Amino acid sequence: MTPIDRAFRLARWGGVVTGAALLGVAGVYVRALVYTPVERFQGPAQKIFYIHVPSAWGALLGFAVTGVLSILYLWVKDRRIDIAAAASAEVGVALSVVLLTTGPIWGKPIWGTWWTWDARLTSTLFLFLLFVGYLVMRGVVVDPGLRSRFSAVIGVMGLVLIPFIHLTVYMFRTLHPAPIVLKPSKPSLPGEMLVTLLTSVAVFTVVYLGFLTQRYALGLIRDLREREAAGDA
Amino acid sequence: MTPDNGAFMVAGYVVAAVILIVYALSLFVRVQGARKR
Amino acid sequence: MVGLVRAATVIALKDLSLELRTKTAFASGLVFAVLVLAILFFSRDPTAVASRDIAPGALWVTFTFASILGLNRAFVLEHEQRAMDAILLAPIPRSAIFWGKFAGNLVFVGTIEAVSIPLFVVFYDVAVWPYLPSLLLVIALATVAFVAVGTLFSAIAVRTQYAEMMLPLLLLPFLVPPLVGGVQLTARVLDGRPLSDLGGWLRLIGGFDLAFVTLAALLFPVVLED
Repeated sequence: MTPIDRAFRLARWGGVVTGAALLGVAGVYVRALVYTPVERFQGPAQKIFYIHVPSAWGALLGFAVTGVLSILYLWVKDRRIDIAAAASAEVGVALSVVLLTTGPIWGKPIWGTWWTWDARLTSTLFLFLLFVGYLVMRGVVVDPGLRSRFSAVIGVMGLVLIPFIHLTVYMFRTLHPAPIVLKPSKPSLPGEMLVTLLTSVAVFTVVYLGFLTQRYALGLIRDLREREAAGDA
Repeated sequence: MTPDNGAFMVAGYVVAAVILIVYALSLFVRVQGARKR
Repeated sequence: MVGLVRAATVIALKDLSLELRTKTAFASGLVFAVLVLAILFFSRDPTAVASRDIAPGALWVTFTFASILGLNRAFVLEHEQRAMDAILLAPIPRSAIFWGKFAGNLVFVGTIEAVSIPLFVVFYDVAVWPYLPSLLLVIALATVAFVAVGTLFSAIAVRTQYAEMMLPLLLLPFLVPPLVGGVQLTARVLDGRPLSDLGGWLRLIGGFDLAFVTLAALLFPVVLED
């Protein structure tokens, strides 16, 4: 089997995992919407929590993986690591879009405002923007070696940036607390809600893995084709 | 007194589903596109 | 092998003397600073917002954008004239290139900041003189942060097609901690608060400087490799 055939097979496998994960998401939807009790003070809108929090987990996972793979790439210089890092960045960006849209939709009825500059939302916003920049940069740099090295540098820098942004926003916020109508529920979740949340987190992890596999396979295929066209082995 | 904000709930769930489905489709389409020589 | 400090100094002086000869980047940076300060002064309801209230923010927005202007041109000459190849062949440690560029950029940005401050005092009617040492410390700390990350990223951006857009796009997320810290500290310093009260923000920017100057210096040679 040629390398490119293997890559296509990996893409198909990834597709299967993604398909299963999306069915899992449908299951989470049913469980959250129908079988999980409505939160008394926040109302039905609180249920967005079961999608918002797992997508945050997925997005941050994606960006952290990109950061770690970037360090690894700088050490090992295997182009497949770069391809995987870029794949994780794209999936992270996609899941961030879920996070950054469900956040305001949840926030408006609960906190009375579309956006709160709280540490988590703001950190994710800036990471999202950073990794969009990362993907844009990959789009404009033609030389693959240069592209991999630049990406790795940005990935590592981004990884180190995360705690600083979080701390900055936290310090800013403790001086200027935002108007809060109702505190969002995060403390002790009653049993059923906790199960729904944890199930959702697990399902979203599989979503991330499925997307990652497919996107990585796609990256491999494109890389192999590029090298064929350039006359490489 | 539970607030009546079901519309937001629906909006949130629909938006999230759309984004996930669109991204999944983009992956399938891009892989298929790469099959053609 | 020429020593690190000597090589870095030569590189910094080369950039600065080139700049002194034409003065275009410096002049543009200065005009830009005046424009930004003036525009921000007018972008408010004067009956509701005192100029003193927006002053720290205006100062730092000015510094940020003027820095980006300065950093945009940091590697343009080397890139256009392929001079970087010659520098890479020279018997100097690779890290000297970073430190030289970093020092040169610091002087450039620092000069624009130094000239902006009197303008700031005049336009916004802010008392700066009694707090000058603390203010200068705050400005120095945050500027080191911008310039370190900016030097690294401008070396990346210059090799992309849309360099002037890529630099701000990549750089801005990294400017959030020093920018927010800079504004918070400036506001309090100009209010007369002693530095001992401001440990939290000072530590944030100080830590950021340490982490990112080190990281930028370590990663710079990777960007130069061919």
